[in-house]
Amino acid sequence: MAHIYLTDTEGREATIDIIAGNSLMQTITDAGFDDLLAICGGMCSCATCHVYIDEGQLAQLSQMNEDEQELLSLSDYQQDNSRLSCQLRMSDALDGLRVTIAPAD
Amino acid sequence: MNQAIKERDYFTDHDVLLDPYAYFEEMRPRGPVCQLETHDCLLVTGFDECVEVLRNPTDFSSLNSLASSAFPLPFTPEGSDISAQLEQNRDKYIGGDMVVTYDDTRHTNIRALISLMFTPSRLKANEAFMREYAEKMVSDVVARGRCELVHEIATPYVTMVIADLMGVPAEDRSVFEEKIAEGQTVGSIDDPDSPTDMSAVLFIAEYMGRYLQERAAKPGADLLSELATASYPDGTKPDLIELISLATFMFAAGQDTSAKLLANAMRYVVDEPGLQQQLREDRKLIPFLLEEVLRLEGSSKATHRLARRDTTIGDTKVPAGTQVIVALAAANRDPRRWGEDANEFKLKRPGIKQHIGFGRGSHTCAGAPLARAEVATMFNTFFDRTDNIEISASHHGAKGARRYEFEPSFIIRGMDNLHLELQAKN
Repeated sequence: MAHIYLTDTEGREATIDIIAGNSLMQTITDAGFDDLLAICGGMCSCATCHVYIDEGQLAQLSQMNEDEQELLSLSDYQQDNSRLSCQLRMSDALDGLRVTIAPAD
Repeated sequence: MNQAIKERDYFTDHDVLLDPYAYFEEMRPRGPVCQLETHDCLLVTGFDECVEVLRNPTDFSSLNSLASSAFPLPFTPEGSDISAQLEQNRDKYIGGDMVVTYDDTRHTNIRALISLMFTPSRLKANEAFMREYAEKMVSDVVARGRCELVHEIATPYVTMVIADLMGVPAEDRSVFEEKIAEGQTVGSIDDPDSPTDMSAVLFIAEYMGRYLQERAAKPGADLLSELATASYPDGTKPDLIELISLATFMFAAGQDTSAKLLANAMRYVVDEPGLQQQLREDRKLIPFLLEEVLRLEGSSKATHRLARRDTTIGDTKVPAGTQVIVALAAANRDPRRWGEDANEFKLKRPGIKQHIGFGRGSHTCAGAPLARAEVATMFNTFFDRTDNIEISASHHGAKGARRYEFEPSFIIRGMDNLHLELQAKN
């Protein structure tokens, strides 16, 4: 089964199976990682599902829309490899994606 | 001599309706997760425990979220995983064909469609309409010097805003408004055998079916067109019945809750010492007002879940088949999370955005961004047009001894009416 490698805000690592069609946010929260707050539930409205993607894998992901860019720009922890995990749909093609949960603002 | 307090019935007691918070405080000493005596279900009042349930869709189904935990299961649960039994009995649940009760892939698919609906850019595009319509409604009542906020402003306003966003034709909007006004509340405490009446929903669904077919043939720039032409994440197309159910739910769901939020917030704006002036002088504080009101007086008191596998909440073992009242209003006043002043209004409370007034997890209220925008627009408009807003003492009593009537619902927390006196801007 395809999976992602996740690192949480305390440095703990986990391997999580991918369910195609789920968002990355859902993949992380369903696996029980509480430090991804995901307050708005995936409406691209709160920026509390902020993650960093391994830089070499960024090109595999869908492009950011304006809403995502704007929300991320408000975060104190934005980096070049920042994404909102609610905006990323999982598929088997993303097998091996390395994801780190960003600190909460 | 100590006398055990008799447990009140959350689902039918009118005193609980008037002050659900007192009931939750009575229950809190029994632990963050406790078994009710009045019904065979668990009551979860702890913040962490509520979040734990809401973020565990694997073990907890949402099938009973509208029907509530007040009714026994329509089947005998067998074994440690009753997921298949739940699906076999889905048609016996009120709202079993609506997104609020969906689980798993069916829910993920529909949420993917919903996630496009109230994005910041879409709300921004609709800002001018929301503002103009608010100006018109508010200037009419300010000229009169008074209004009844719930029926004259809040409810028609939210109906018109969602109708405009979705692209419901102007000539049909008043028909919907009347039908919704006629309908019984959801989760009525006065009708324990049939607390949720779906007649208004079925009425609206007929219209939505027609619109969606029209938009599929000739798409425009509205939400109905977007739904009519949308695909699921795997590229397949939703069937028409699923889209009708979704469009109807999106139209109907936000009506009561958004409208009640405006009235709930207005009580604080008027009666909290100095708050009205503070907000008038610094409008950037309005979002903080809304979040604190959502925590203290969110429009949904509770939602419900059903354990479909043997699981736990905190240290409590929960067998498959257990129904759970997730008491959002209790969690939002849990002193373990919010401190000893949890029952008090405090602007800019630390960590306020983490309240669960709109729920949490995969079923978090999708209309939350719209509700926030609607209520903020209304407050800005009221502040622009008035110098002062008062609650009518002749209707509600003097400050400190107000009397309010609440919608008789075990789901909704909202006033039936709120009479205001408005002093026009000089």
